[in-house]
Amino acid sequence: MKMTSMLRYFIYSLISCLSLCMSLHAQEENTQTTDSLVVKQKYGFRAGVDVSKVVRTFLESDYSGFELNADYRLSNKLYAAGEAGTEERTTSTDYLNSTAKGSYLKVGVDYNMYTNWVGMENMVYSGLRFGISNFDQTLNSYTIYDTNSSTWGLTEILESQEFTGLSASWLELIFGFKAEVLNNLFVGLNVQIKGRLSEKQPDNFENIYIPGFGRTFDSGNFGVGFGYNISYLVPLFKKAK
Amino acid sequence: MKKFIYIFLIVIFSCEKDDICSETTQTTPRLVIEFYDIQAPDEILSVPGLFAIGLDAEGLEVPINNEIVTTRSSIALPLKTDDILTEFKIYKSYDLEDGVVTGNPDTIKITYDTENIYVSRACGYKTNFDIQTFSITADPSLWMISSEILITKITNENDIHVKILHL
Repeated sequence: MKMTSMLRYFIYSLISCLSLCMSLHAQEENTQTTDSLVVKQKYGFRAGVDVSKVVRTFLESDYSGFELNADYRLSNKLYAAGEAGTEERTTSTDYLNSTAKGSYLKVGVDYNMYTNWVGMENMVYSGLRFGISNFDQTLNSYTIYDTNSSTWGLTEILESQEFTGLSASWLELIFGFKAEVLNNLFVGLNVQIKGRLSEKQPDNFENIYIPGFGRTFDSGNFGVGFGYNISYLVPLFKKAK
Repeated sequence: MKKFIYIFLIVIFSCEKDDICSETTQTTPRLVIEFYDIQAPDEILSVPGLFAIGLDAEGLEVPINNEIVTTRSSIALPLKTDDILTEFKIYKSYDLEDGVVTGNPDTIKITYDTENIYVSRACGYKTNFDIQTFSITADPSLWMISSEILITKITNENDIHVKILHL
């Protein structure tokens, strides 16, 4: 159970990384192109969903989530961007089982590092986000960790405890790409590296999973995530770069 | 840019140790008893052939994990985490020959409150104990003469919680 979820997590991460590498490789080949024509580019509002969260909601019994994302092009390379979503995740370890449920908001910018061919408007970008999350955690059950339990047996506590009004904030570094696969329709992958700035912890427990941030680690304030987005651009005007 | 990907991968792999509870982490502690000389109450006195066996609610003997017969001056005993009372039979000069146990067993009874404390993601919860009473059950040939609770809160195994004076 634990191994499979770890494996799945690893595969997701690997796919995200590979896609990023390939897109970067593609970028290196293309940067030679120069063009003297004045080409107008589309500016507008792009909105979409994180498909990976929808897929995971269907495939994984211990996960449900939904995320809307949007960006607005500010200049040739700069976009104002943000995500809003909800997540519910049950974490089960050898010694405890808990469910985190809540919503989150991330705001920031994306910077396009990719020089497009004429008429193309793809992105290989890095971005920065500030994220906040409000959530509840339910400790469903736990087993007392006792290295001497072979004498008297394990003690399992099945009374569930709810911790409400929890929150966290973090900074996030994003790397990803968005490719226009049909007119105004974009498909994108991204990976996220996060550093937690603050959090409100429950009494005599800890935030095991933070919606929007992901799982926490005993050894630090960092987190990782990924997204697979499908988004649609509503062009508002055209501008020469 | 590629450096970031390497860092990202390193981060992922280095995290897995988080899911294993380290052996050095203090989790549910045992009750630590130290034996002193009744003639000189400040001096530690080893008990020859010391051996402990747990007693369940029906008074049946329950072997204690890793407990072996040795001459020593202190013993660590696991308390039940799902109860507020644990009893042990503690032998002096324990010997087992041809299925016949010899030695002098005394029974001790500890009552306590429990508190479950969160440790970490990997270790989950531990139980700490607060000793309410410690008694030596009367029998005609006691080798333990008296006891004294030194520290009521059992939170680690570095403390000596109970002192027993013996012959």
